[in-house]
Amino acid sequence: MVTVRQVFDSYKDTLVFEVLGGKKGFSKSIKLPEVHRPGLSLSGYLKNYVNQRILVFGNSEVSYINDLDSDVRSDRLSSIITQETPLVVVAGKLAPPIELINSCNSLGVPLLRSSLKTMELQSRLTYLLLEKFSPTTTCHGTLVEAFGVGVIIQGDSSVGKSEAALSLIERGHRLITDDVVKVKLREGLYLEGYGAELTRHLMEIRGIGIINVAHLYGAVCVRDDKRIDMVIKLEVWDDKKFYDRVGLEEKHIDLLGVKVPYHIIPVKPGRDVALLIETIVLNHRLKEMGYNSAKDFNIKLLETISRKQRKRKTSL
Amino acid sequence: MKLSYKIKVKNPLGLHARPATVIVRLIQDAKSSVSFTCHNETVNAKSIMGILMLAAGKNSIVRIDVEGEDAQDVMSKLTEVFENGFGE
Repeated sequence: MVTVRQVFDSYKDTLVFEVLGGKKGFSKSIKLPEVHRPGLSLSGYLKNYVNQRILVFGNSEVSYINDLDSDVRSDRLSSIITQETPLVVVAGKLAPPIELINSCNSLGVPLLRSSLKTMELQSRLTYLLLEKFSPTTTCHGTLVEAFGVGVIIQGDSSVGKSEAALSLIERGHRLITDDVVKVKLREGLYLEGYGAELTRHLMEIRGIGIINVAHLYGAVCVRDDKRIDMVIKLEVWDDKKFYDRVGLEEKHIDLLGVKVPYHIIPVKPGRDVALLIETIVLNHRLKEMGYNSAKDFNIKLLETISRKQRKRKTSL
Repeated sequence: MKLSYKIKVKNPLGLHARPATVIVRLIQDAKSSVSFTCHNETVNAKSIMGILMLAAGKNSIVRIDVEGEDAQDVMSKLTEVFENGFGE
């Protein structure tokens, strides 16, 4: 749940907010990440009016109210500002009409003023609210960036996730977070992973303890957040299980509704896991560029087979 | 088997590095999966980093979820160390 207080505290500097009234409504929750300019609704047209949106009063709204007869002003304002209204913001450092301040105070609807221009305030506030409302989840794994690709390394504890990440770092790749990855859906399209502030850039290695990668290997080896491009699961080698041998089949995993490419690497002593991860990543990049090694090989193979068959037919 | 139990952190310093080590050592061989939830944050309890990330102070409530064949055993071991404040 997002409250007005949270929004005010987080953005009072970026959006240059000051409080004008309705202080007792600061604990109100904002239910929709939507910002509305009530121009048409102020004129009395209230069809399809959603009263849970944040209202932004710009120059036109304020001058429209000021042009109304004083006895109509409160009427019009009370039809759009109700107890459901989470927040009213006056943009452009405008002086709000006294009726607006009064109705916000009496209904307990927070009234803020911003010095940003109306359009700028509206677009920035919408963007920031969408960020705050975007779904997040936590997943167990280590997030690294290899060749510019964000990879979550998953697997049961003690399968060697951190060790694999450490070898990747040693080869010049980057750590984002170890063990706990916070995942956020950005713009409804892609996923971004980051670590908790407290354990950022720290790793726990069996037999060594907690190490700070940024201090050990330098700032070049860490990043704060990274788009998640794939998930690689490390598994203890199981002789009975059939592992992918050709790579024609593409597996995906669902994270917050986004399909993320998924690979399983069986681990056993002597397998260089970091090298395997690097190879998967490079292969992924190649696929993104439009080249699929397995498919390309298969096409060549099919061509060879049909050529051989034609030869056989003609020689018969 | 699936078990869930809410417990209060009793030791004065909260879940810092030493109690986290105690917890992980206790359950690292358990067959069950164990997770802790505190302040709306859920983490794998077999991971030191996970437990430390919770930054659970004294008197905070941690929900322990255990799922697996040895759940009963794991849960009783965990509640015991929480109850005696990790010997601190």
